[in-house]
Amino acid sequence: MNFNSTGNNFGAGTISFKSHQEENFVVLNAKLTYNPESPEYQAADVLEIYVPDLSIDRSAISGVIMRFRDVRDSYGYTWDNSGGTVLKSWVKDKNTICIEKLTNFDEKGEITIYILALYTMLARGGNPIKGTKVRLTTSQETTYLRWSSDTFFVEFEHWIFLHMQFGSCTYAYRDSPWECNLDNLPSGITADLPFCGGGNQYNPSVDGISEAHIENGVFTCQTRTAGFEDTGHDPFIFAFLVRDN
Amino acid sequence: MIALPSIAFGGFSGSAKGVTARQVAGRSILSLKCYPTGVATGAQLARRASLKKIAKSWVTLTNEQRHEWDRLAEHATGASSLGQKAELSGMNLYVRLNANRVMAGELVMADAPAGQVAVPNVEYSTVGVTPQLVVFGGIKHESAPYKMVVKMSGTQSPGITNGWSKTVIISSEVEDDWGEADITKLYLKTIGVEPTPGQKVFIEAYWLDTSTGFTGQVFKDSVIVTGESSYTPRKRVTMDRLAPDHEQHVSSIDVDFSSGAPVIQFDVMCEGHSNVASSEAYLADDLPQELQGTSWALGRGNGADGKLVAQSYVMWLYGARYGDPAYITFAHRGGYYVKPTEVFGPGIIY
Repeated sequence: MNFNSTGNNFGAGTISFKSHQEENFVVLNAKLTYNPESPEYQAADVLEIYVPDLSIDRSAISGVIMRFRDVRDSYGYTWDNSGGTVLKSWVKDKNTICIEKLTNFDEKGEITIYILALYTMLARGGNPIKGTKVRLTTSQETTYLRWSSDTFFVEFEHWIFLHMQFGSCTYAYRDSPWECNLDNLPSGITADLPFCGGGNQYNPSVDGISEAHIENGVFTCQTRTAGFEDTGHDPFIFAFLVRDN
Repeated sequence: MIALPSIAFGGFSGSAKGVTARQVAGRSILSLKCYPTGVATGAQLARRASLKKIAKSWVTLTNEQRHEWDRLAEHATGASSLGQKAELSGMNLYVRLNANRVMAGELVMADAPAGQVAVPNVEYSTVGVTPQLVVFGGIKHESAPYKMVVKMSGTQSPGITNGWSKTVIISSEVEDDWGEADITKLYLKTIGVEPTPGQKVFIEAYWLDTSTGFTGQVFKDSVIVTGESSYTPRKRVTMDRLAPDHEQHVSSIDVDFSSGAPVIQFDVMCEGHSNVASSEAYLADDLPQELQGTSWALGRGNGADGKLVAQSYVMWLYGARYGDPAYITFAHRGGYYVKPTEVFGPGIIY
């Protein structure tokens, strides 16, 4: 089910959501931006998004990804030090989604938040339901992208859980736009995805965060942050994604 | 010579020799000052001191503030032992609502609330009282600013049918944890002795609106103490459920298996160990087969160096085997590894 927010307390404008809602959990997908200099944001202690009735009236803590832009020019070379981290998020009541306010990066300007999250209730009187892990297979006309063995999905009728972990890229393609087929990805997945990881020289408290996109079973990533392939900063995607079906 | 107030003279008010005369709604009311009997507990002394302090602060209010309290009191009613609602003065209401607020850890409010507030009534599905456990289950949750006030008695003879006058406040700030409220420690601290199986415990409970001090209706209940609780807490791994004789690599842990959804809920501070990018938590109890498996969750660095790096973690949940207790391994996967890292949120399980 798609819906729009009815308001928020941090000056983010109308936010469009995709959702899958059940009695005891919801999967929500949205991408939003806000300006940390806005008076609404400045006045807020917790970021609140007001929405039409959800199927649950509160949730345990979930995680959403925030990203700031930090792109510098150095002697004609573009030096992308964009980064971000995980923010805590929860459903406060049927009509309010809350996001932790983290002010560490307010001076960076516009912030993007990716809500690709599952919000669950607890004490529902049953055990967790086990899914099935499926290794995600990828293909390219010329193979230049390699993914780690921790690249997989768990499929449900109306949503999936996706984890992708970057392995390596052929040197000649490291600065090119990337594209690869996700051969067995379940249908109906379209989303912008934060690609977390890679060193961040100018913002060492966090890793870099790039943006990728999935549509029609094709993965694309136009650019990566400067330290994307730094050793020990393994880039990954972690998302609960609603299917368009 | 002291002139005692007399009901023969309308409009007479004042106190003398422990007798107080006051005018309420055109009626003259005389009341004798009550003195508590028995030895006061520390909590009672604190409560009385608080009431006295609040009452004394009435004179510090402005005329306008006092007028607002009087105005609100005209619409508020108080409990009466005479079978009819008693009139309240502005000062009565000021003391009563602020005493409730102070009891819940709030400050005294000088300004009267805008109006009377409808406070919901307490609803729960079960209460279990054993010598080792005092727990409410299935509490219908109310969000802040509501807190549940629980009053309980010590164990009474099972033949007693009306023992609610023997209840004392166990806690004025119970907040249910997904419908559960384990008040065992609070009960033992207040009552001092474990409940005795076969005996009866009386319970009063109500919601307190901590923003205004108004309360809901008192829900009265009683329960026979049992030897073992029929109440089954939800399945979780918490610090007090870790194996005491094993080295643990988490400084806090709450792994909750009660979602009924395709996820486990994590809230764990992974400290790491040696030079391995993982942490182990060894469990006191075995992990049943249906809860064993693999799960994934997000992590965020929480180091003293201020690192907030986003990470992904894989969790392996094992049952007891080869002489080892059940354990959960939290292994770093994506992002830069930070010690410690808080792993939180829902994790898919397979």
